[in-house]
Amino acid sequence: MNFFKRAWLNVWAKKGRSVLLILVSSAILMFVLAGLLIRSAAVKATETAKTDAGATMTLSANRQAAFKKMQSSSSSSSSKSSRPKLTLTPVKLSDAKRIAKLSNIKSYNVTSSTTANAKSYETVSTSTGMSDSSGGGPGGMKSTSSSSGDTQINGVTATALTTDFTDNQSKITKGRGIKASDQGTNNVVIEKDLASQNNLTVGDTMTIKETTGSKSTRKVKVVGIYKASSTSSVSAGPMSTDPANTIYASYTLANTIKGSKYTGTADSVTFNVTNPAKASATKKAGNKLISSKYALSTDDASYQAIKASMDSVEGFANKIVWLVAIAGTIILALIVILMIRERRFEIGVLLSLGEARWKIVAQFFTEMLMVIVVALAIAGVGGQFVGNQLGSQLVSQSTTTQTSSSRTSGQPGGSGQPGGGSGGMRGGAGGPGSTTNSTKTKNPDLEITVSAVDLAELGGFGLAITFLSIMIASGGILRLEPKKVLIS
Amino acid sequence: MLRTEGLGYWYQDKEQPLFQDINLEFEEGQSYAILGHSGTGKTTFLSLIAGLDKPREGDIFLNDRSLKQIGLTNYRRHDVAIVFQAYNLFNYMSPLNNLLTAMAITNARHAGDRGYAQRVLNDLGIGDELLTRNVQRLSGGQQQRVAIARTMCCDAKLVVADEPTGNLDEDNTKEVIDQFQRIAHDQQKCVIIVTHEPDVAARCDHQYRLENKQFVQLD
Repeated sequence: MNFFKRAWLNVWAKKGRSVLLILVSSAILMFVLAGLLIRSAAVKATETAKTDAGATMTLSANRQAAFKKMQSSSSSSSSKSSRPKLTLTPVKLSDAKRIAKLSNIKSYNVTSSTTANAKSYETVSTSTGMSDSSGGGPGGMKSTSSSSGDTQINGVTATALTTDFTDNQSKITKGRGIKASDQGTNNVVIEKDLASQNNLTVGDTMTIKETTGSKSTRKVKVVGIYKASSTSSVSAGPMSTDPANTIYASYTLANTIKGSKYTGTADSVTFNVTNPAKASATKKAGNKLISSKYALSTDDASYQAIKASMDSVEGFANKIVWLVAIAGTIILALIVILMIRERRFEIGVLLSLGEARWKIVAQFFTEMLMVIVVALAIAGVGGQFVGNQLGSQLVSQSTTTQTSSSRTSGQPGGSGQPGGGSGGMRGGAGGPGSTTNSTKTKNPDLEITVSAVDLAELGGFGLAITFLSIMIASGGILRLEPKKVLIS
Repeated sequence: MLRTEGLGYWYQDKEQPLFQDINLEFEEGQSYAILGHSGTGKTTFLSLIAGLDKPREGDIFLNDRSLKQIGLTNYRRHDVAIVFQAYNLFNYMSPLNNLLTAMAITNARHAGDRGYAQRVLNDLGIGDELLTRNVQRLSGGQQQRVAIARTMCCDAKLVVADEPTGNLDEDNTKEVIDQFQRIAHDQQKCVIIVTHEPDVAARCDHQYRLENKQFVQLD
């Protein structure tokens, strides 16, 4: 293959031109690589978002079905005194366990909230200018069977599974949080302000008084102290007690306080979904396992927000790749056309010696290939830098867009209802500390690193650009008549 | 060896041909000069017998095989070697690489034999110190000798030259013509030189003049 040697001799002899070609090719490939890197980083970030941002699926009473039932009872009943009530059926834990066995469920958190009155301690009072309500919790419907205490008890499987703690709105400052092993115990985690006001610390006991039934007192043991951020009060609603009066306990304790009929039930159960992309399929599968009294709702807003943002970054990166590749092909083709024009005599001599035209084209292709190999190495080094600069610019741009759009679409409190009890369920599913996903999301930083796959892909692009530009330019070689070049 | 039959060529108007009905024969071991004024068509004739263009009418036969049958690319690769007035060497190569490249393309017997190429160049006065120097740094006479060496390294039996001494001084002209004579007589090749210099033509074995669209034998 004599054309390989000719190509090498030419590239080596015409160093200036070769360096210029290497620089142009490097610039083109650098931008192609930057696009490829941003694209793969965006794909990776979306994958990471699946685990980091996650999605949840909440099993709770079907309010719509209950409301319809109430309406139909209302229309059939003529007596005002026996006006039907909205009765929400507590979630059965046995149903929750069946759903938890679905393949896409990572873990689940049982939430059962209630209220109690302080007995051995003073609650933190907030002067809001509003009097304390003695009826049902705010946002809920007043029920004859419910009455509100001054202490909010959030029964959970584990505090670590609640969004208040996962989002760092609440932090354990002393002791520990509630764990699954606390089931059946009277262990509680109290707020820092409540603890300091009553000189309570980890290991102390405090007494609460139930608000229903026999209104008996119950001693609970403080196993941890947490600090709540002020934003927690927002979700509790304007009529709730101070957020510092919220104590966390195992859901079994909350159920015991609510009454014996609540054993083995919950206000809601939140399932953490392994793959947010399959959240709706999991919801569909879950719906088959429960009766119409219950409803499953999914909350994958965080994942969707990150996915939308990364999709936009990926889309832009794709455009960069293709635009640069096309522009690069055109630029290189023009350079090669000019190069071939100035080498007409050489082509003529080769043709006069009987060289096949395809071998002449192959010589030019080999020359460009040698240039591209060096350019690939340069682009491999510089592409990461360009990719990082472009990537961070794109992410910050995308975050701005996302923030402005979430301001208009986000709803306070997420999917949960803001506080309050309803019907037989004291404390709604959306009470303070409930496991609802916040729409507040942070775009992941793009981790832009050059991998062997990226370089291989870039090599493919480089090869394609070289091949196309040579093909475009070699039309002249195929038409060239040696007589016209060599004999004037 | 080479025969033309009814050869004719015109550019645009058939009624105004450069030449027509040319019937000539060229033999191995002989040198031929084709004389003529500028524009008479002698270079065009050379381009036809060199396989760089196709005749408008008639045919060219090499050892009784038509060039149409042989194919122009094949013919140029194996059967003919061309020397140009402007040398037309590969300007990014040394004399040695020019020869090796030509030998490789034409699949010459000595393809890849650096020693052979070196000897041929040395015989033509290209010393060892010039062998690896870029051809652009050689004088006109030296470049033309490299071009002649290229034809000698290839196995083609027909050597055609277009004004090979056009850019050379008297001494170099004499030297180059001597080389062509040696190629014809020693290597038993057929050498056809197109020239407008009667002195150059006089040193060839046979002379033809192209005038009034016909070749006239002078010797």
